[in-house]
Amino acid sequence: MMSCYLLDTLERLHSHLARVYQIVQPLEDVGQSAPPLVSPKGYFFAEQENLFVFDGECFRETLPQPPPFVLFGVQSCDLTAIAYQDQFFARDPYYQARRQQALLVGIDCVTPCEHGFCASVDAGPGVKAGCADLILHARPEGGWMLMVCSDKGGEAIRGMELDQMDDTELRARDRRIDDCIAAFPDDSHLHRGIAAISQGRVPDQQWQQLGIQCLGCSGCTTLCPTCSCYGTRDLSEDQGDIRRQRFWDSCLYESFQREASQHNPSEEAGERVRRFWTHKFGDNFAKTFGRYGCVGCGRCEQTCPGVIGVHSVMRRIADYAPDDDV
Amino acid sequence: MPRTMMSESAELLSLTPSVAELLDFVDDGEATRRYRFRLRDPNAMATPLPGQFFMLSVPGAGEAPFTFTTVPDREGIFCGLVRRVGSVTSALFECRAGDLVGVRGPFGRGWPMEQLAGQRVLIVAGGCGLAPLACLIDQLIAQRPYRELALVYGARQRSLQMLDDSRQRWAQQVPLFDTLDTATEAELGGALLGTPLELMDDILLRLGWVPDKVLLCGPEVMMNTLACFFVERGHSPRSIWLSIERRMHCAVGLCGHCYLTQHDLSHHYVCRDGPTYRWDSLQPVHVALPE
Repeated sequence: MMSCYLLDTLERLHSHLARVYQIVQPLEDVGQSAPPLVSPKGYFFAEQENLFVFDGECFRETLPQPPPFVLFGVQSCDLTAIAYQDQFFARDPYYQARRQQALLVGIDCVTPCEHGFCASVDAGPGVKAGCADLILHARPEGGWMLMVCSDKGGEAIRGMELDQMDDTELRARDRRIDDCIAAFPDDSHLHRGIAAISQGRVPDQQWQQLGIQCLGCSGCTTLCPTCSCYGTRDLSEDQGDIRRQRFWDSCLYESFQREASQHNPSEEAGERVRRFWTHKFGDNFAKTFGRYGCVGCGRCEQTCPGVIGVHSVMRRIADYAPDDDV
Repeated sequence: MPRTMMSESAELLSLTPSVAELLDFVDDGEATRRYRFRLRDPNAMATPLPGQFFMLSVPGAGEAPFTFTTVPDREGIFCGLVRRVGSVTSALFECRAGDLVGVRGPFGRGWPMEQLAGQRVLIVAGGCGLAPLACLIDQLIAQRPYRELALVYGARQRSLQMLDDSRQRWAQQVPLFDTLDTATEAELGGALLGTPLELMDDILLRLGWVPDKVLLCGPEVMMNTLACFFVERGHSPRSIWLSIERRMHCAVGLCGHCYLTQHDLSHHYVCRDGPTYRWDSLQPVHVALPE
């Protein structure tokens, strides 16, 4: 059972944490229902970063050295994505150098957002204890519940002298989260779509039709909080040093897999679109990571200029689901 | 620490290369050279298995995967066969003896050496596909764990053949069939005219034995058609192995460029789970079946 405290204002927590941590607040307003357009993945898996420098004699690893920082007010979808990336990048030294410095303060959602469906993919709307160090929950009667879910979180609020709250408050939180889940719109197209993808029932022709609508713009992969593909390039410094940079890439680019010989194993847009959605909803990925790659943030739906974001795609492939899997 | 948060015990990877010196190179077929490198620290790399690969950095140009044609010796000297195709290989071709490059590896899964003991093994290579097999063939001939061994090497034309001296050496020990897609009478020499697929029935007849294990490496179409050829003739898909080429930026299963969908819809990274695969795990999803 996690400990739970009453917090009168967010500013109080803010200023206490600021004594140790640099504060990063991804949301304009902690408590808004919509997630920020840009997910917080870049705080750990940087959009561009240097891997090493070559000075003409040696290759020298260039690990980031950020000061301790707190992501203050991150919603459950994005925290679930961070937990997913924690597994994917478990052995990546650059990711881990940033991740080890971070304290995660989650914020429960109590109203569904426009494109989100976190509840359908077990990623919200309430923050799971395993995904954050501290969790905030707005009390309708005023003030905040502050839940401590890790040693690091407990250490971070030490000395704040907060009043402990009892189980009644935690039960009231659960009720408000349940009410939020009940308020999400019909999600049968998602469940049917997942069944169709996982059982390989979507015909190539359908993927090809969806592929026609893919502009290869990388909007979805850039905003997706679990997308992790990257490319590398060498850049020359003024003093003659050379640095290797890695940067976010997109599996939906035509050239993503193209080899120097021009052989391209995923030349067809439909093949690339199929791969993207299989990555997000394939049962085999779920086996590896303990969950689907999609956390239900809805950003792809929000951004896709070709109207093949998650809801649009799942509605079009839902009919391929087996009849008994509604 | 909550269960789903990062595990602190995991050993971190390094994406930073070790320094190696370009010792020398010899031309080996059209736009192809055999390079010798020496690791500055001979212990910088674990001993590779045949079929495993390394990432070669040419500072300023980038990094690309290459196979070991010989593995590092005690002094850290090893060879790689490189055809000039893209930007990294073009930059390498501009390098001179003494220039420094970066090397990471070994990566991936090699050929199933242990499964070849006591077997009749047929190895079919096409073009540059001979490179990932060269080290295996050398080890097999040196150790002779097999019951029979034969090699087929297909090239489009005489000028595109590679590893001439190795092939001459191997031909002293085991049956070796060179095939050329096109050749004049004079160019043909002892080679057979046609593709390995067209000539396979004839080659098997000449051999007088049926292979238990078939190892393939070459253009994807060649591997696919030959795998289908053997399956149609009753060979188990589990007895056929091939080595897949993919673009790679990390070689450790992170960058995503080398993904491959297996027939059970599971995802694989060729850098980590390949590049050698058994045929039954690949077909029919990812491959374009022959027309």
